[in-house]
Amino acid sequence: MRTLDWIVLVTSLVSIILYGLYRARGSNTVDRYLLAGRTMPWYAMALSIMATQASAVTFISTTGQSYVDGMRFVQFYFGLPLAMVILCATVVPVFHRAKVYTAYEYLENRFDGKTRVLASVIFLCQRGLSAGLTIYAPALVLSVILGWPETLTTSMIGAVVVTYTVIGGIKAVTWSDVQQMIVIFVGLIVALVTCVLLMPREVKFTDALYLAGAAGRLNAFTGRFDWNDQFNVWSGLIGGCFLFLSYFGCDQSQVQRYLTGRSIAESRLSLLFNAMAKIPMQFFILFIGAMVFVFHLFVQPPLLFQHAELARIQGRAEFAPVEQRFQKAFDARRAASMALIEARHQGDEASQAAQTDAYRTAQREIDSARADASHLVELAGGEKNFRDTNYIFLSFVTRYLPVGLVGLVIAVIFAATMSASSGEINSLATVTVVDIYRRFWKRGASDHHYVLASRWATLFWGLYAVIFAGYVHRMGALIVAVNRVGSLFYGSLLGCFVLAFFCRRVRGTAAFIGMIAGEAAILATAEFTEVSWLWYNVIGCAVVVAVALAVNASLQEGRDKPAKIA
Amino acid sequence: MPQDPPIPDDPPPFLGTWKRVYAVVLIYLVILILASFLFTRAYR
Repeated sequence: MRTLDWIVLVTSLVSIILYGLYRARGSNTVDRYLLAGRTMPWYAMALSIMATQASAVTFISTTGQSYVDGMRFVQFYFGLPLAMVILCATVVPVFHRAKVYTAYEYLENRFDGKTRVLASVIFLCQRGLSAGLTIYAPALVLSVILGWPETLTTSMIGAVVVTYTVIGGIKAVTWSDVQQMIVIFVGLIVALVTCVLLMPREVKFTDALYLAGAAGRLNAFTGRFDWNDQFNVWSGLIGGCFLFLSYFGCDQSQVQRYLTGRSIAESRLSLLFNAMAKIPMQFFILFIGAMVFVFHLFVQPPLLFQHAELARIQGRAEFAPVEQRFQKAFDARRAASMALIEARHQGDEASQAAQTDAYRTAQREIDSARADASHLVELAGGEKNFRDTNYIFLSFVTRYLPVGLVGLVIAVIFAATMSASSGEINSLATVTVVDIYRRFWKRGASDHHYVLASRWATLFWGLYAVIFAGYVHRMGALIVAVNRVGSLFYGSLLGCFVLAFFCRRVRGTAAFIGMIAGEAAILATAEFTEVSWLWYNVIGCAVVVAVALAVNASLQEGRDKPAKIA
Repeated sequence: MPQDPPIPDDPPPFLGTWKRVYAVVLIYLVILILASFLFTRAYR
């Protein structure tokens, strides 16, 4: 990071925060602090929804994933437009008319207090766990890439997020998100253009596409169905649809965004914008990773992109042979790449086939050497199942992007972290105050009291996220477990909302028992089967609905008259 | 808590009805999936 990078980074972040706080002035009632007085335009909500969902890991990890595994991750988002249409037609008008502050408040209107509390607690557990990780994951990567202490990056992000979220409430969060998304879009476009321009002159853009495709990096579609395959068109359409129904329909961090809309139409438009923009955006991010892969066909990448771990294994006796294999394979792949382009330009199909074989063989050898190096990290006392995917994009940025642009892309990572984190903290505070504190602890207090309580709750969850982020590294491989835990809760929440909206005769006790059964089913599936986590939501939702219907029938509840939907 | 006026369910700013807007989104999804398929096949 040079002086110009620092200027770009600090200017971007300070202007984002000041603009957010400026737009948030007057957030002095609960309605304004938590729901922006329900005055937000659709485009601000749309970008805020997108920003909250896209954490820094999305940019860091997705590009890295595309580098090593291609673009098939984009299929995960195929279910999103389906989910958005369903939510716009069902959930959005109901939530708006019910004039609720949280999704779980609606559950009490529909069922009873205990169902609302259970759903709120499930949300607080799930979102609380991920709040620390949202800050920690990018802070860790930035600390390694920039050479800063981990506590500094974590504290920097945490302090900034907590300050503007506590002061400005959801308006500050939303308007900051808008600016953050603009910085993110600009930064990503600049990164892609620069990557393409940095390639050798004889490599045209169409050649880059050809080389990426020949290495399987442009595999955006897999039609084969496989329960255990995370990313194919079927798991994306079905599993992804259920996941996004859960996320955008039952997770307060998203529901709160579109509850701020000035009308049902504005809220619908914000979701439909995401329905149309999200897949191209993810495609674009993955495409950047594929182009970074092509760039490194000609410019030698490090054996491992995480230089601290690379340094750890360099002294070991096994390192030299692995590095030699890697070097040899890189040279072979570069030669094959150039020969392949040459054969393609000349239309020599026989040579093309031969060079493609050589190119792919060299790629397999590179993958094998990198896998061996990762194993060495483990042997040297590093992380178990070490992968350097999250470091690939930022390694490229800091090594090869011109001065000024490095600061911009680092600002993108900070912005993405702040937007995701502020949304989480804000929604955690809202559920804590509205669904727990105001409902069960202190009823009938003044508006000013609840605004103050909301600010304290925001501060609490912000500090919790920062402190939790500080301890995550001590959990080692549990990071993976915590990530997985985060995906374990949505199915039962979704099942509960399906009951609320579509099973009018089901009452509170049946829904409550159904949720517990659904949660048990998800945990059992995760523990005892190899089924991909994308299917957990489908399974959990189905079990909640089936059990609740059975319990309802056996309890003979709700048969006299249908429940009134708000 | 302050009482807000009822929230109207306005028609969309284009295409007349929400059903038509949803249909457009779904057609767009089909086009995107088809484009992904063709893109993958073109560069396999």
